[in-house]
Amino acid sequence: MINETALSESGANRVAKRLDPAAGPWAKTNPVALVAIILVLLAMPWVLASFSTGRFILHLVILFFVWGIVTQSWNLILGVGGIFSFAQVAFFVIGGIASGAAAQQLGVSPFISIWLAPIAATIAALIIGLPSLRLRGPYVVLLTLAFAELVRNFATQGPKWIAGGGYGLRDVPKFGFEGIWGTATGRVAYYYVGMIFFMIATYVIWRIFYSPIGMSFRALRDSETYATSRGVDPFRFKLLLFALSAFFTGLAGGFLVHYNGSQAPTILNFSLTINLLAMIVLGGWGTFWGPILGTALLTALPEILRGPLENWRNMGMGASLALIAVFAPEGLFPLLQNWSRKLFGRKNAEQRPPG
Amino acid sequence: MEKLFQAVYSGILYGSIYGLMAIGLTLIWGSLRMLNMAHGALYVVGGFVAWTALKLWGFPPLLALALGVVAGALIGLLIQVLLINRLIGRPSFFNAAMIATVGAAIMIESATLLIYGPRVKQMPPLISGQFKFTGVVIQYQGLVIIAISAVSLILLSLFLKKTRYGLAIQAVSQQLDAARLMGIPTVLTFMMVMTLSGALAGLGGGLLSSVFYIAPTAGYTPMVKALVVTIFGGLGSIKGTIWAAYIIGLLEAFLQVYLGPSYALPGLFLFMILMLVIRPRGLFGLGEMQRL
Repeated sequence: MINETALSESGANRVAKRLDPAAGPWAKTNPVALVAIILVLLAMPWVLASFSTGRFILHLVILFFVWGIVTQSWNLILGVGGIFSFAQVAFFVIGGIASGAAAQQLGVSPFISIWLAPIAATIAALIIGLPSLRLRGPYVVLLTLAFAELVRNFATQGPKWIAGGGYGLRDVPKFGFEGIWGTATGRVAYYYVGMIFFMIATYVIWRIFYSPIGMSFRALRDSETYATSRGVDPFRFKLLLFALSAFFTGLAGGFLVHYNGSQAPTILNFSLTINLLAMIVLGGWGTFWGPILGTALLTALPEILRGPLENWRNMGMGASLALIAVFAPEGLFPLLQNWSRKLFGRKNAEQRPPG
Repeated sequence: MEKLFQAVYSGILYGSIYGLMAIGLTLIWGSLRMLNMAHGALYVVGGFVAWTALKLWGFPPLLALALGVVAGALIGLLIQVLLINRLIGRPSFFNAAMIATVGAAIMIESATLLIYGPRVKQMPPLISGQFKFTGVVIQYQGLVIIAISAVSLILLSLFLKKTRYGLAIQAVSQQLDAARLMGIPTVLTFMMVMTLSGALAGLGGGLLSSVFYIAPTAGYTPMVKALVVTIFGGLGSIKGTIWAAYIIGLLEAFLQVYLGPSYALPGLFLFMILMLVIRPRGLFGLGEMQRL
C-alpha cells in the first residue's frame, strides 16, 4: 500500500504530468509567423508551376516531402531511440508494395489503397521489432540488414504481381491529378497532398519529440538500466518507437508509388539507405530539425552540383559523412544553432532539445 | 550423391571465403568494439588492385594477389589513422565510428568508380583447369582458394597465440583497461588490427574476383555475409567465427543445391533471424560490455 500523496509528489509523476515550458515548444509558437509560413507554402507551388524550371523545383520539393518524412521517422529510431535499424527503406518499400499492388491488382482507388501502406509497414515493423528488442548494437544492425535483404529478395524474385519479373511495380495507378487539371496544376495538387502528409508527420513527430514519450525514448537510449529502474518499460516503448516510425515511412512509400506510378526494387540497394543516413547525420542526429535540414540540403545540393561535378557527388557525400563524424558529431543543425546564438547573443533562444 | 558432393565442395569453398572476410570484422569488433562498414570497400580495393597488377601491368598472379593484400592493408590503416583514432574515447564511439566507416566506404567506392568505371571486371584464375570427382566439377582455382584461406587462418591464429603482437591484440580485446595498465600501446594495437583486417579483406577480394566478378559495389554482399558469419559465431570470438564461416558456407551451399539458388539468401537470413532470437550472442559470443 503506497501512500497516494507520496506518489503524486514523487518526481516521476510530476514529470509525466507537467512539462517544463522549454520542453513544450508548441506553447510559445508565434501564431502570426506560423500563418505566414503556411500561406507561403500554400502560394509557392502556383508560382513555381508557371515556368518549366519551377516545375522541376516543385518535383524536388515533393521528393523533399517524401524523404523528409522518412528521415524524420528514421531519426526517431536512430537518433532519439539510439537503435541502429537499417530496415527503414524496407518499411518504405513495403508501404509502396502494399498500396501499389492493391491499387493495381484489386483496382482500389489510390486514395483508399494508400492507407494500406502505413498499416502494412507498421505490421512489418512489429514483426521485425519483436526479435530486435532483445538485441542491441551490432546485432540489431545485422538483423535489420538481413530483414532489408529479405525484402529486397522478395521484391525482385517474389510473386509476379509484386516483383514484375525483377522490374518491380510498374504502371501503378497514380492519383490522377494531371489527368484532371493538366501537368502543371496536377503537380501543384501532388504538392498539396505531399505537404499535408509531411506536415502531419512533422507535427506528430514534433509533439512526440518533446513529450514524456520522447523523453522516455531518450532515457532508454542514454541508460537503459536507469530508465528501466525509473519505470520506463523498454519493451513497450521500443515497440511503440518502431511502429510509429514505420507508420509514417510506409505512408511516404505509398505516396511515392502513386506519384511515380512505379517502384523499382533498386531503391532497396544500399545507396538510398546511405543517402538517407547522410541526411540525418549531416543535419543533426537526434535533433528535431536536423533531419529536415539534412534532407533539404541533400535534395537540393546534388541538383545544384549537376554537370561537371556529378561524378564527384558520392565522393563528396562520403567525405562529408566522415568529416561530420570526426569533427561535428552532432551534425550541422546544432552547429548552426551555436553560431546563431553567438552572433545574436540571445540567451533565451530556443533551449537545446535534450537530444 | 552427386548433389551431396557438390554441396559439400561449394560449402567448403564459401566457408573459406567467409572465414577470410569475417575474421577481419571479428578482430575489429573484439579490440575496438566497432562495426567496420568499410570492410566491403577494402575487399573491393584488394580485388581491383590485384586485377590492375595482373591485367594491366602483367605481374605474375601471386605477386598481383600480394599487391592486393598490401593495398587493402594500407587503406585499412589509413582509415584507422585518419578517422577512427580521432574518435577513440568519445562517449558515442560506436555511432561515430560506424558513420565514419560508412563515409570511408562511400569514398572508396566512388573512387574506384571514377578510376575503373561501372563495368564489372573478372580476374583470370591463378591456376586454370579443372577435374571431375564423383561427377562434381572441381576447379583448381577453388582448391587454391580453400588452401590459401586455410593457410592464412592457421597463420593468423598462430600469430594471435604465439607472438607478442598477437597476444597484445588478445589482451586488448579481453580487458582494455588492464592491457593499457600493463603498458600495451592500445592505439598502436588498434592500428595493427585494422591493418591485419584490411589485409585479409584485400586477400578475399583478390581471391574471389576470379570466381565472381569485381565492381565498385561488389563488396556489399560479401560484407553482409561476413557480418552474418561474425554474428553467428559470436562477435569477437575467433574460434566461433571460423566455425560459423564453414557452417554458414555449408548451409548456403546445401540450400542452393537442394532448393535452388534463389532460396539460398532468404533461407540464410531467416536462419540468422531465428538464431538471433534463440541465441542472441551467437555460438561463442563475448559479452556486450560497454567500453571505450
